[in-house]
Amino acid sequence: MTTQQWAATASDSARRGKWSARVAELNGELNALLSFDADARAPVAVSGDGPLFGVPFVVKDNIAVDGLPLTCGSRLLADLVSPYSATAVARLEQAGAWVAGKANLDEFGMGSSGQHSAFGPVRNPWDHRAVPGGSSSGSAAAVAAGMVPLALGSDTGGSVRQPASFCGVYGLKPTYGAVSRFGLVAYASSLDVVGIIADTPQLARAAFAAVRGADEWDQSSVTAAASQPAGMPSKVGVPRVALAGLDARVAEVLATAEHQLEESGCTVVDVELPALEHVAAAYYVIATAEASANLARYDGIRYGARVGDGGGPGEDAEKLVRATRSAGFGQEVKTRILTGTFVLRSGFQEQYYQRAQRVRTLVREEVERELRRCDLLLLPTYPVPPFTAGSTAGDGLDELQQKQADLFTGIANLTGHPALAFPVDSNGGRPIGMQLMGPAHSEEQLLAVVERLTERWPPPRPGSHIGEVA
Amino acid sequence: MSEVTHVGLEIHVQLLTESKVFCACRNSYGDEANSNVCPVCLGYPGILPALNEEAVTKAYQIASALGCTLSHSVGFERKNYFYPDLPKNYQISQYAAPLGSDGQFLYECDGQERRVRIREVHLEEDAGKMIHAGDLSLLDYNRAGTPLVEVVTQPDLRSGADAEQLLTAFRSLVRYIGVCDGNMEHGSLRADANISVSDTEDRLGAKVEVKNLNSFKFVRAAIGFEELRQAAELVAGREVVSETRLWNENRDVTKTMRVKETDSDYRYFGEPDLPPYPLAPAFFDEVAARAVELPLAKRRRLAAAHSLSDAQSAFVTAEPETARFFERCLTSGADGKAVANWLAADVQRLLRQRGETLGSSALSPERLVQLLSLVDRGEITGKIGKQVLQAILESDRDPAAIVEEDGLRPVTDAAALGQVLSEVLAEHPQVRAQLSGGDRKPVGFLIGKVMQRTAGQADPGAIRTLIEAEVAEEAGG
Ligand SMILES: [Zn+2]
Repeated sequence: MTTQQWAATASDSARRGKWSARVAELNGELNALLSFDADARAPVAVSGDGPLFGVPFVVKDNIAVDGLPLTCGSRLLADLVSPYSATAVARLEQAGAWVAGKANLDEFGMGSSGQHSAFGPVRNPWDHRAVPGGSSSGSAAAVAAGMVPLALGSDTGGSVRQPASFCGVYGLKPTYGAVSRFGLVAYASSLDVVGIIADTPQLARAAFAAVRGADEWDQSSVTAAASQPAGMPSKVGVPRVALAGLDARVAEVLATAEHQLEESGCTVVDVELPALEHVAAAYYVIATAEASANLARYDGIRYGARVGDGGGPGEDAEKLVRATRSAGFGQEVKTRILTGTFVLRSGFQEQYYQRAQRVRTLVREEVERELRRCDLLLLPTYPVPPFTAGSTAGDGLDELQQKQADLFTGIANLTGHPALAFPVDSNGGRPIGMQLMGPAHSEEQLLAVVERLTERWPPPRPGSHIGEVA
Repeated sequence: MSEVTHVGLEIHVQLLTESKVFCACRNSYGDEANSNVCPVCLGYPGILPALNEEAVTKAYQIASALGCTLSHSVGFERKNYFYPDLPKNYQISQYAAPLGSDGQFLYECDGQERRVRIREVHLEEDAGKMIHAGDLSLLDYNRAGTPLVEVVTQPDLRSGADAEQLLTAFRSLVRYIGVCDGNMEHGSLRADANISVSDTEDRLGAKVEVKNLNSFKFVRAAIGFEELRQAAELVAGREVVSETRLWNENRDVTKTMRVKETDSDYRYFGEPDLPPYPLAPAFFDEVAARAVELPLAKRRRLAAAHSLSDAQSAFVTAEPETARFFERCLTSGADGKAVANWLAADVQRLLRQRGETLGSSALSPERLVQLLSLVDRGEITGKIGKQVLQAILESDRDPAAIVEEDGLRPVTDAAALGQVLSEVLAEHPQVRAQLSGGDRKPVGFLIGKVMQRTAGQADPGAIRTLIEAEVAEEAGG
């Protein structure tokens, strides 16, 4: 549906009702949304100001929307209502878009399967047995199923791109600092970015244009001149050696993407990224270290669920915090907090945290070096296709394997470069996406390239789709 | 065995800024609990700190006044620990690169110049307050996020008295720079003391930190207590435990709070939300432009230029308000010594009686200078001068107007004074006899009596002249 069609649906209560009923039906299958309200924030007129006028979007539930819950997929924050809106949300609203609901996620953004939400797992609209990816599972599944055309997600180590690829939609991880993090619940502050999931590259571009730019409430945010897309790039690099052990189906889709780029006039060249093999380890050390501090605030004292009465002074406050955190956090979150606390401990910082920072510098230097030799880099988003939920047998991945598999996405978070995941092939029912990574602030370039590819090779739709009902 | 005491201080200075250090909430003491709070200073999910530049400037002013090496960029670390008054359960502080390092502070202790080395000056956020009321623990987050500068000295102090003097001088310093009101009771200036007693000059003993020192008096008392306690441990052949202790002001003792954690238990790491940013030369120009003459330098300069006594120079320069007042009197051409005399004695006494300060009172430098000049020119007596001073404070009028309107001009009229003198002499025949006999001793007594009878308005010089004339007449007659 076009922006105008969405505005027409959104401003008409009868059509809205039909759409809403269909969303509820789909959500019963997918569990993509934690809340949905087709009426409260819908526009009253069929046309109005802003390039995104009338476009409904859902917001990953670790991004604040004034007056809506901010559960972060955690039992601990199940009852929290946000007293303010994230800058990215406010900017989309200024551009005319409106919030239709909050999307399910892996608790606090920790996970790449959509199975780690306190509010139940999210299913892949293509194949309900497959994971939708994570942690922006609900955002990707909702867009893939056509419930909404646009969603905000967050990407700390691939959390926008990997579910976008698993669900066959577009997922943009902007340059670190290009979009304000104000209102994004921090997982790993130096890696987190607010990302965009959309059903077309055009919509992703319009949404990115609306949210980008410095914000006085995020001192790591910057305003960069919008890059002018200069047609198709002449050279696209692929780190061939590092991809040696790739799953055959993913390798095949990579070859398809290379072929499409060549057909579109690009030269595909080999590049070297030897540091890639250290990315997952460095990423997890830094991410968990920062997470251990970022999640320390959830103690049940000022807001959120509280276990214990915390009545008496001193000792009892400690008991309250301990009980609240023990009961409130899920297992994966606890694992990461403990890991992060460990790597920051005295005597271990040099061995883990400082070393990970040096790897980070090294990876950044390698990526920058290769981006001087070619215009963009092409990488798989994930080394395997969407895997089956709830099992490590067959094509399932255990938690450690899932973490190791974050290397292709984690690299852009470590270096801060922008990357765009795009659907290439439906692989007989479980989509496989690729990603393009470019120099800092080259988002428009990435989107323009992918738009060209999409025009020539339009991606298919999943079985669970809203269709033309709306 | 003779023990050696080393004391270092960690002085916490709450900066006077409109808003808190990372959010727009009012930075104000004494408001209703939890009225100056927002999602940022309550550590809500998703918020980020936005650094208050005024706080950075004021922190640099302190570091600069202490002669520190100033860091050319500002970066922060997270100091991780759980405590209910700390909203994020980490404190944004500076660790790897404090904004100021290796400075010194000069002050006077018993008339001797002392120098304490400053290890570092860093900027951080204050925590909230936990109040225990019976079985309840209550939390007030108004203070959370108040800009706080921590000044860490080297262990150069040797006694509680020394520490008290330093803090008194330091309080004066921050008030001069105008970055802190120095109010110990409100906690805007606080100090923790690190005390180590060793049996040899060569090395420091185990470090014992004492917290909860809400007044300079407590600092001195707690250090004194620790000196004795640690020395007793050493004498008894025991080891002093490195720990944190709390001062109990009701019992005048320190009590173990917790055995000392090492630095790295705080798991410091760089604050990713506040990327280190370089400061422009214009920033340092601004800090330099705000520099003021420091209390000790001012005291020495004024003492030398106006022959002030130690007590006078100390009084005149202790408070920036007094110093400003004094210097404005000087620009109006007053005699420094006389101004200091008046300020340190009558002005101070009357203000205290009235519960006023120089700034809040009706006495302006111009009025004091006018008053002094009336006395100096003999238009009023010193004694009337004090009455005029009181009248200024009471009725907010100029000295000349008071003298005029209240009829305080001295009686110099020889006929009128002669009349009074005659009456007094008539009442005291033995005095007249003494004078006739050439004894000058009763002159003072007579002047006093005449003054009394004229309600202090008689000009003492004029009375003396009359008495002399009287005596001469008697001798001649
Ligand atoms: Zn605030």
